[in-house]
Amino acid sequence: MRGPDLERLYDGHAQALYAFLLNLTRDEADTRDLLQEIFVKLARNPDLLADVREERAFLIRLAHNAAIDLIRRRSTRDQTRERFAAGIVSPFAPAVNPDEQTFRTALAGALAGLPAEQRSVVHLKLWEGLTFEQITGALDIPLNTAASRYRYGLDKLREQLRPLYEEMKKAE
Amino acid sequence: MMNDEMQEFERRLSRQPLRQIPGDWRGEILAAAGRALKIERPEPIDWPSALVSRLSTLLWPHPVAWAGLAAVWIGIFAVDLSTRDRSPAEAQSSRPPAPEIMVQLRQQQRMLAELIGSRDVQDADRSKIFVPRPRSERAEILAG
Repeated sequence: MRGPDLERLYDGHAQALYAFLLNLTRDEADTRDLLQEIFVKLARNPDLLADVREERAFLIRLAHNAAIDLIRRRSTRDQTRERFAAGIVSPFAPAVNPDEQTFRTALAGALAGLPAEQRSVVHLKLWEGLTFEQITGALDIPLNTAASRYRYGLDKLREQLRPLYEEMKKAE
Repeated sequence: MMNDEMQEFERRLSRQPLRQIPGDWRGEILAAAGRALKIERPEPIDWPSALVSRLSTLLWPHPVAWAGLAAVWIGIFAVDLSTRDRSPAEAQSSRPPAPEIMVQLRQQQRMLAELIGSRDVQDADRSKIFVPRPRSERAEILAG
């Protein structure tokens, strides 16, 4: 029996999983550990992807479950540290334009304030470009739940970013 | 109007590029996964060399004694093979003894019986001579 093509899986999906995990954990070391955990799991269970139609959705589900487990395991002290560190560990690439950088930093902070469930759906919809149907498959949640989590999450982001966003729009 | 604003906001968010995964993670993570793969699926066992290794471990304390014992067993086997009865097919294919030999054999048997004086042999001889007849015929013989 042949094992999974780990290199192909890594090259095809690791970037997306990294961004998703980083958005949930807000910690590079934790993100690395979780990513490694996923690939070790794939290596140990070669049949895990045997009947999977959408690899990306399946891997996102693995990543989501691993991240949620980690978040639940974290102590209160870690959660406090996460809140303070939210502005530092951003899931976004650094921007050359100072205004853009300010917006990205604010966006990262606003995302960190969302519950993990809403943050997951918002991330997958906005930065993975998944449809609600695909998100329901990846996170194993009903369609209405996915849609409502997205709507609540987006409303909160908009509320927090409104002053900065409107200022940037005027400047443009 | 509100909906358009929301869509514009969504587009703005989705245009924000995500941080790139560090390049050196690839080798480290794939190496860790590769190690897990090896642990999960160990190398296939080379049975002949494993058997030789096991035997050498077992016999190593007294190799000469084990070799001597093996030689003795080989000798016993060779002797057994050489003294074993011929096969039934081979036995059937052999010729019957010649008639002269059979006559000589019978004479020797008779002589032996006379020398021993066995009752069984006498009885056997008598049984050959005696021929039972009907009772009426025997009565005629007695009357005559």
